[in-house]
Amino acid sequence: MATTTTTSSSKAALVKLAIALLIVGSLFAVPRYVSSPYALHIMILIFLSTIMGESWNILGGYTGQYSVGHAAYFGVGAYTTVMLMQFRQVPPWIGVWAGIAAVLVVALIIGSICFRLRGPYFVLASIAVAEIMRLSATNLNSITKGAEGILATEIPVFKIGEHVVTDFLTKVPFYYIGLSLALITIAVTWGVQHSKLGYYFQAIREDQDAAHSLGINIPLYKNIGLAISATLTALAGSFYAIYVGFVDPTTVLSLDLSVQIVLVCIIGGIGTIYGPVVGAIALVPLSEALRSNVIAEGIFKTGFVDPASATGTFLKENLAHAHVLIYGILVVIVILFMPEGVLGFIRKLGSRMKKGKA
Amino acid sequence: MTIFLQSLISGILVGGVYALIGIGLTLIFGVMRIINFAHGDIMMIGMYLTYMLFSMAGIDPFVSVLISFPLMYLLGVFLQKVLINRVLDALPQNQILLTIGMGLIMSNTMMLAFTSDYKILSTTYSSSSISIGGISISQPLTISFLITAVITAGLYWFLVKTNTGQAVRATAQDREAAQLMGINVKRMSGIAFGLGAGLAGTAGALISPTYYIFPQVGSVFTLKAFVITVLGGMGSVVGAAIGGVIVGVSESMGAVYISSGWKDVVVYVIFLLVLLFKPSGLLGKSRM
Repeated sequence: MATTTTTSSSKAALVKLAIALLIVGSLFAVPRYVSSPYALHIMILIFLSTIMGESWNILGGYTGQYSVGHAAYFGVGAYTTVMLMQFRQVPPWIGVWAGIAAVLVVALIIGSICFRLRGPYFVLASIAVAEIMRLSATNLNSITKGAEGILATEIPVFKIGEHVVTDFLTKVPFYYIGLSLALITIAVTWGVQHSKLGYYFQAIREDQDAAHSLGINIPLYKNIGLAISATLTALAGSFYAIYVGFVDPTTVLSLDLSVQIVLVCIIGGIGTIYGPVVGAIALVPLSEALRSNVIAEGIFKTGFVDPASATGTFLKENLAHAHVLIYGILVVIVILFMPEGVLGFIRKLGSRMKKGKA
Repeated sequence: MTIFLQSLISGILVGGVYALIGIGLTLIFGVMRIINFAHGDIMMIGMYLTYMLFSMAGIDPFVSVLISFPLMYLLGVFLQKVLINRVLDALPQNQILLTIGMGLIMSNTMMLAFTSDYKILSTTYSSSSISIGGISISQPLTISFLITAVITAGLYWFLVKTNTGQAVRATAQDREAAQLMGINVKRMSGIAFGLGAGLAGTAGALISPTYYIFPQVGSVFTLKAFVITVLGGMGSVVGAAIGGVIVGVSESMGAVYISSGWKDVVVYVIFLLVLLFKPSGLLGKSRM
């Protein structure tokens, strides 16, 4: 009996692995067949959101520490990489390591302050620290160029020996980098979930005092969780900065960004490996559609609103700015009706249907 | 010395308005144990309400408090009944996210309605000031401080002397025990959120003659409200009043003696220090 169950579960695992390989393989093939820069852009944004969501997930989802200040790590990574490239001619693939080192220092300082606090107090402290970083970047004009931001103009050509690998002029190299980083973060999350570390994290999340009495070193493991999470977020930040080619305090260090990082995870499903992927796939196209006025044009096509009328011009001018409104509505709906996220909701539906059949 | 006194006084005057925001947040936290991340956005709605009353009906911002307080109270009761009530027993992080979502909806709805342009409500006395012994005191800030003092005193009277107020405090002390004593806990939650929203809206009305009005103004004040309530001790009304004044003074001192760009950093650093060394706040009970 036991042998049959193991073979059937290993079969299921094989099928899962095959599906995963198929998806990854086809994702790697996409740039060969899709030449539209806009489609690639959307895919890159999905990868970026996935990286941010997954990395937040390790600290927020698995360890249960709801940081609403992850923009601090994103921003420090982004700023370090761009500043080294722009002011010191350090290529980004080297600068990113400096970015990670800087973020780790910041994370350790933040961790030693904030991890003494619990629940809502931790949330508030994480926000305060991120705001201090944002205000510092705004005010330290001589180092960061302040609110003006830094334009990244000098991305060097990536060569191995004499062979030019890429000159970063199209979106294709960014697509592959984004995809690889997203896969790495998913792999890291998978590794964490299936290791002793992951069990420690989840023990802390479920009951900190019980975990402590079982001999788990709470500050140590919280800081390890933060270090992993912050490193991956810094990668996302560096990647974003080089891809977009611009950093300023309001885009890479704002509270809005911190909230968006959390949302990707919450909407998809917190504490699950694929939750942030689902969240990214749901959120990015939606907000891009709003931003590029696809939805406004869709409303015009239905014929309910005349584009030339007052309401029409109003929609055209303002709907693009309202993508955050959709975020807000989604969060409220998700929290009220599917507190386990979209993925958890689908799973629940699935198990209910199975029960119905049996 | 004049500079010191000048910044001290203007800090105290601004602190009065901050105190109103903080008291609202602390009432909500006390009764429902929910940290309202939409608090600043509720205040922002109060600012727009005042702006509309002023620009359409010509009602003075300080007089409009009489209209905006009840309206904001109703908005608060509505939000509590429809949204907050459903997550009272949910995980704290879900409560926080719900209020963040509410805040996003409010600020972006206002952006759709009014665009994100900065609006200025300029009254005849917006920039006038009284001069006493070489120290100039802003007239609108003085009026708003006096109104704040009256409202705070009234609120204190309500909470200490009236039956409903005592029921609100009982609910804050021990929800279950209050329920066993026959107090309608759900109604008290509605009242607390209504009062919180009303006070935030009033603060918005009072600050609008001296502050820019724009849809994203809320998040700054949400953060300030947190700092104020943590400083004073979560759930303590008197603590929030003191915390408001402390934040006002440290902001204006920071602006004068360091630079205006760094004044918020000063506030956040004080906030972190309090969280670390006296997490129960200046007047709160320990709950760590």
